[in-house]
Amino acid sequence: MFTGRGRYAAILFLLPAAAVYGLFILYPLVRGVLLSFTDNSGGPTSNFVGLRQYQSLLHDPTTMGALWHTVIYAVVVLIAQTGLGLLAASVLARRERIRRTASSILLLPALISPVMASFIWSYLYRPDGGINTLLGNLGLGSLQQIWLGNPSIALYAVAAVNIWMFVGYSCIIFLAGYAGIPRELFEAADLDGAGRWKRFTRIEWPMLAPALTVNVTLSLIGSLGVFDFPLVLTNGGPVNSTNTLALLIYQDIFNDSDFGMGAATAVLLLLLVVVVSTGASILLRRRERAL
Amino acid sequence: MTDTDLQPPRAPAADQLSTPPPARRRRRRGRTLDALLILAVLAFISPFLLTLVDSFRTAADLDSDPLGWPRALTLSNYALSAKQIMFVSSALNTLLLTLASCVCISVIGALAAYPLGRLTTRWSALVYRSFVLGLTIPIFVIIAPLYLLMRDLHLLDNRIGLVIIFTALNLPVAVFFYTSFVRQIPTELEDAASIDGAGPFRTFFFVVFPLMRPITGTLLTFVSLQVWNNLVVPLVFLTDPSKSTVMANAYSFADPHTLQPAQLFPAALLGAAPLLVLFVIFQRQVISGMTTGAVK
Repeated sequence: MFTGRGRYAAILFLLPAAAVYGLFILYPLVRGVLLSFTDNSGGPTSNFVGLRQYQSLLHDPTTMGALWHTVIYAVVVLIAQTGLGLLAASVLARRERIRRTASSILLLPALISPVMASFIWSYLYRPDGGINTLLGNLGLGSLQQIWLGNPSIALYAVAAVNIWMFVGYSCIIFLAGYAGIPRELFEAADLDGAGRWKRFTRIEWPMLAPALTVNVTLSLIGSLGVFDFPLVLTNGGPVNSTNTLALLIYQDIFNDSDFGMGAATAVLLLLLVVVVSTGASILLRRRERAL
Repeated sequence: MTDTDLQPPRAPAADQLSTPPPARRRRRRGRTLDALLILAVLAFISPFLLTLVDSFRTAADLDSDPLGWPRALTLSNYALSAKQIMFVSSALNTLLLTLASCVCISVIGALAAYPLGRLTTRWSALVYRSFVLGLTIPIFVIIAPLYLLMRDLHLLDNRIGLVIIFTALNLPVAVFFYTSFVRQIPTELEDAASIDGAGPFRTFFFVVFPLMRPITGTLLTFVSLQVWNNLVVPLVFLTDPSKSTVMANAYSFADPHTLQPAQLFPAALLGAAPLLVLFVIFQRQVISGMTTGAVK
């Protein structure tokens, strides 16, 4: 079909996608790197400043703080979301009667959008909101917190909303993985008298490798570029404790019109994403191949 | 009537009364565990349930005890919230935006995936790889230069500009989905079409694209979720609230930190309602869209 004269047809088929993707994704990607070496502030002219943006970036506590928060956030979300999703899936996988219902209910938060989830939780987190009221009613008043106002816990409180929203998502991905495990393996394990833990470590964990890859990848992509949750819940505060790289880029550009700085921060985010996703995919591929 | 019904009822043996047989006991324990698990799942989504119930309670009732049982129900909260976040016009905008983006993404993506799935040359592999590269790049990496580009093209505050951005952002996932699907379609049908004299474009639109229906459904549920829920794109590239989407207007006009629950909760549910309805209807496609790639 696409050999010989068909080559031209292949090019025509590819043209619209290549044009849109090239102009609106690849070109900005390249221009962004160039922009990061300038002091562009949205105006018609800008000066080449070399590595100055990067130097001030590396010495800027706000940017370094945002980098650090992004990393912590990604690690917390990755571990908790994947862990809880796996736990839920491993329990539901053998409870056929309720599996569909329970996983559909768990999935509901994943459908209500980060903005809407943040609306709900910003009420629950208020000093006089749902969580503190509940703790008070249970006689656990000592655990009451100003959840989003305390710099040492605000980031985790924001991450908790992220986790709450997507545990169900993680769970159904693992459940799809469970559905792909041949029954004979479990029957053989039963015959050999393998216990539950052994079954998990020897059969389920290795057989779930593709599902784990999908989960880890999705969670990393989402959390390294996290924006909606901190924007709505805390707007980066208190004292920048929930500022992330994405939020910083947004502020650079749209509050300060500092496109050069925004682009430099974006390159930092790109490097973080490339390093983390390459590392993760090497590790995960090795696991999948070992299967 | 079966034979067993005619037999006189037999009193259960004494030992059966005190200790039920293991199978039945296990079944009963299983049922209790099932019930407990459903309760745990409901507790987990209780913030959502609380929002749902509270959104119908009157402001006075809510003030007295936000976690309590409702005493008076009303729909007026919804009317107020809808007006505040310009729900009707923004929902219409978002719906049109989502539909237009879905059409562009599926047609352009499928067109590109067809040769990419069939060819095994070095350049086609390179093109495919450069598309897939886009899967991992957060929009924030390109948002500053993209903003300048849209400004130079006079596409800021323009609905068509938004469709273009969403199409570009979702092409990687479309190309990824469609290419792996094309590789599984046998070539016999296309060969038959070309023997009948159909050119590549007719073959594509009348033979290949219709075969892609299942994966298109999966892709589009995924894409609609992305477009409907996206906040940053309308926030950055649109300034006129009358053109903007549900999420951007909800964010701009409803401050979740000061708003009373009676207005905040309906706002939260209004934004989510269209997708929740969609989920109930297309539950199967949504789940398969979300779990693609989880099984080898």
